[in-house]
Amino acid sequence: MTKKKSILSDQRFIVVLVIIALVAVFSILSKEFRQYSTILSMLDFSYYDLLMAIGVTFPLITGGVDLSIGTGMVCYALIAGTMIRSNEWPVVAAMLLCIVLGLIVGTLNGVLIGVMNLPPFLATLCTCMITRGAGSLCSATPWPALTQEGGWFHSIFKITVGTGRSADRYPIGFLWMIILVLLMEFVLFHTKFGRYTIAIGSNKEAAALSGINVKFYHVMVYVVCGLFTGLAAIAYAAVTPTVQPGTGAGLEMDAIGGVFVGGVAASGGYGSVLGTFVGIFVIMLLKTGLPYIGLQANWQQIITGIVLIVAVLIDILKEKKRAV
Amino acid sequence: MEKLKQNPIVKKLGLNRILLVCILILMFVAFRAVLGSKFPVADSIRSTLNYVYFLGFLSLGVTFVIATGGIDFSIGPVMFCCALVSGYCMTSYGVPMAFAMVLCVLIGLAFGTFNGWMVSYMSVPPFIISMASMNIAKGIASVFTKTQSVSWPQSSDPVNGWFRNIVSVNGFPVGLIIFLAVAVICGIVLYNTKPGRYILCLGSNSEAVRLSGVNTKKWRMLAYMICGLLVGIGALFFVATYTTVQPGYGDQYNNEAIAGCVMGGTSMVGGLASIGGTVIGVFIISLLQQGIMAFGLGKGQQMIITGIIVIIAVYIDVSARRRKN
Amino acid sequence: MGEVILTMKDIDKSFPGVHALDHVNFEVKRGEVHALMGENGAGKSTLMKVLTGIYQKDSGSITYKGKEVEFHNTREAQDAGVVIVHQELNMVGDLTVAQNIFIGREPKKGFRIDDKKMIEDSKKLFQDLNIEIDPREKMQNLTVGKQQMCEIAKAISHKAEVIIFDEPSAALTEKEIADLFVIIRDLREKGLGIVYISHRMDEIKVITDRVTVMRDGGYVGTLITKDSTKEDIINMMVGRVIYEDPKQHSMVAPDAPVVLKVEHLNAGKMVQDVSFELRKGEILGFSGLMGAGRTETARALFGADPKQSGKISIRGKDGQLREVTINSPQDAVKYGIGYLSEDRRRYGCVVQKSVSENTTLATMEQFTSGLLINKGKEKKVAEKYIQELATKTPNADQLVVNLSGGNQQKVVIAKWLTRDSDILIFDEPTRGIDVGAKNEIYKLMNKLAAEGKSIIMISSEMTEVLRMSDRIIIMCEGKVTGDIDISEATQENIMTKATRNID
Repeated sequence: MTKKKSILSDQRFIVVLVIIALVAVFSILSKEFRQYSTILSMLDFSYYDLLMAIGVTFPLITGGVDLSIGTGMVCYALIAGTMIRSNEWPVVAAMLLCIVLGLIVGTLNGVLIGVMNLPPFLATLCTCMITRGAGSLCSATPWPALTQEGGWFHSIFKITVGTGRSADRYPIGFLWMIILVLLMEFVLFHTKFGRYTIAIGSNKEAAALSGINVKFYHVMVYVVCGLFTGLAAIAYAAVTPTVQPGTGAGLEMDAIGGVFVGGVAASGGYGSVLGTFVGIFVIMLLKTGLPYIGLQANWQQIITGIVLIVAVLIDILKEKKRAV
Repeated sequence: MEKLKQNPIVKKLGLNRILLVCILILMFVAFRAVLGSKFPVADSIRSTLNYVYFLGFLSLGVTFVIATGGIDFSIGPVMFCCALVSGYCMTSYGVPMAFAMVLCVLIGLAFGTFNGWMVSYMSVPPFIISMASMNIAKGIASVFTKTQSVSWPQSSDPVNGWFRNIVSVNGFPVGLIIFLAVAVICGIVLYNTKPGRYILCLGSNSEAVRLSGVNTKKWRMLAYMICGLLVGIGALFFVATYTTVQPGYGDQYNNEAIAGCVMGGTSMVGGLASIGGTVIGVFIISLLQQGIMAFGLGKGQQMIITGIIVIIAVYIDVSARRRKN
Repeated sequence: MGEVILTMKDIDKSFPGVHALDHVNFEVKRGEVHALMGENGAGKSTLMKVLTGIYQKDSGSITYKGKEVEFHNTREAQDAGVVIVHQELNMVGDLTVAQNIFIGREPKKGFRIDDKKMIEDSKKLFQDLNIEIDPREKMQNLTVGKQQMCEIAKAISHKAEVIIFDEPSAALTEKEIADLFVIIRDLREKGLGIVYISHRMDEIKVITDRVTVMRDGGYVGTLITKDSTKEDIINMMVGRVIYEDPKQHSMVAPDAPVVLKVEHLNAGKMVQDVSFELRKGEILGFSGLMGAGRTETARALFGADPKQSGKISIRGKDGQLREVTINSPQDAVKYGIGYLSEDRRRYGCVVQKSVSENTTLATMEQFTSGLLINKGKEKKVAEKYIQELATKTPNADQLVVNLSGGNQQKVVIAKWLTRDSDILIFDEPTRGIDVGAKNEIYKLMNKLAAEGKSIIMISSEMTEVLRMSDRIIIMCEGKVTGDIDISEATQENIMTKATRNID
């Protein structure tokens, strides 16, 4: 009865092939793309996307969504930056603030969806607006002091050895990401929280009948998403020289698109953090690589949209096939 | 209260709508009383109307989609995409004004058709297709215009200035007339034609409608197409009042349009829609934006307040439905 | 058989308008398999729901292991060792077998769930049951039969002492049923008390020790299985006095033409090689027990669900029988078929809309002049049918949700009459409808038939079938097992055919 799954049927494996193909195409077509600095900058800009994506994987597995992650991330980065500049908070405190804000908004989302039963996309569309509005109230460029003095902050994600142009840079952030991905993969598949996340997405009724406190775990899913949005805010501040107040709308798309590429089911119930990890790199490669082969950066938006639709369609077709 | 509900005039107009109008008037009086000269009556009405024009079309459009139980929050960026692409054709490729206007509406219709097709024939969840369309619309607009803003002609423009007449002629609010006329047409379509009937019924119970031998897919798609068409028209009114559009924006109008619609009594669950309510809801939202600005607050507060309003309106709707069942 | 483990005495339960259980007695001994039988709606499920705490009894007593108990929810019953294996499986498809068995009570090792222990424990459970299932397999990849085994394993892992099987065999293959019986016998050996609800007479004979029969919410009697015959049991099940006179003979003219011919229809597991004919002016009853595939046949015929094969022919206006393709309800409606679902609120009417809107739902074209709906005409037609069918509603603008079940049904009938459909499929036309309204629906159906409409009536009520039908098709497990004229039909021969395992 038990069919051995062929590795080919695992979407993640196919995504890895796609990544290899993309890298190959870009490398062949563009000399600049092959440079170490390109990879470095691509990694730099992937951290916050990846962190958001890890977070939003959980709501998506429950069949919901969190649209507030993009604007939320920018909002927290701005508020924390303002605290540093205007109130002279220490950087560590500002970082904590990001996380706390993420948790607060995540809890709000969770309560709206899990307890008050609002449709997820609508509730988070509202918090998206609210965080965007709140962010635009901070007129500051974020984390201003950091570029000059507190160099250690940037070293969280990138270690610079030496000075000036000849300096060697190591993308240590990538290591943290791998650790976080593995950690959350573990959480998803080996803890009660993760298991009930899947159960809620797969069959909420059955989960409730088995005596699980579905409401609590449903809220927690969004809290975890908020936590990672807070972490993303830190990563965002570390790589972005200036953050425009009121921006961030659309950034959630890259993250959510990545998660779907990684193989989350459109109706929930199935997904993996490792899938999200590889999915995000497809999006990042397109984002970074397309300009090198002569397409404007804006094409990336269109392509992300199409990639999202294709990923979801693939899932729907698979589902249809299984139903027959 | 019960007695009031039974009053024939109240029944005819709908208690909700009467209350909404009261809120609208109260808001206006309150703004005037608190802000005084910072809220000049004539100017405020004019700027509110300007806001009503484009937002009203978005709101009417999304009312159809929400009536089917779906959602479209790509409307704001799609509106910008319509205005940018057609405007750019006019300014850079010399497309005549009339064609540009038609093109503008057609682009909206194209997006609506695409969304509707994806939702009803490919069964992609509406919120996912909304996200994707939002991105695609922004992307197309940016790519097409090479990320430059586009300015539509001023009314002083001898050749093309005439298009501003859709908003006002010598101070007479033509736009209001057009908007109300379109609203009436929408009302007729929704309540008095076969497509409207099917749209409302399938929002309420899609399976029962299908088992009555109705092609539900077709009519569901039509709702999205109507939405797209109205968004295209809304884009014209946007540029006719605000002249310039910038690529990469438009998201905040999604929420405002949905807010107007849900406030007016259209249910998020589908099947229950009120065009009259949407119209009043749009007025309230538009007035609110003017008030917020008159208070010296900016876009930020606008978004926060609109966000909170939608949450409250939807929560009322969701809990009222649950009590009923 | 050992001592009595569970006794239910004088259980009484009423719902608004229905006396669901009327002083029912039931007992289970250790080491016995006790069948609970009865027609649809006899009260078997209600009794079991009272036992497992889903419903609370109005009066009577439950004694379990010598103590009087009352369970307030399934959890309490479970903890005490009374577990039900539902017909509809209650599982999370995306989780593995082991994860499903232990959901809500996972063993933990620090932060993490101890999956190893779960898998080991599941393996042990399966070993005890002699089943081969990989606990690491995802639930949705298993066959229904295996999923059922998992539910049983889950029940046993609750240290169950009484297990209730609610029609466990309904979705199983022959081989799986055989496996299931091995397990049930094994559990019996271990001294558990087992309640077995089923419609299949053959199984009852094979697996059970005693049979308790219920009818119309009341207790009829208990038999020792090996000392009684199938006929004894059937007689107890159907032995009710029929108040309404059954139809004596068919009302259809002998030369009435065939209007619908279905040949070798196949759709999924529940419709296998179904063939029948329907003649003009005929009321064709479809009898059978729950899950016999009658509704599925109707839905496949109507195009509501996909079908794999089969030929459908319909008599055209010119009197010729012609093969037609029906792939959607749209096609069916085009050929003059109307379907009245058993679940009116979900599939019949749009309850949040008015009577007139529902009446014209299938016939919008007739009510549009130019682009607009002619609301005057719409209202007039709706009112005409309100009068004709004696629908009780203040006016045509009333929302359907505010009407009673019988009147909702009339609105749906009106919908198809506006369409002038020649073939009407009534699926459980009087379910949830009070006696008075029932008679009106019957009268209406007779009138329609007399006017030359042809009616397929799916019904689980024996009296209804005998009273209304001109001819009766009996189905069992997706197959047609009988086709008898009303003059030859008796409760007994219908029930025998409905419980027959034809292969």
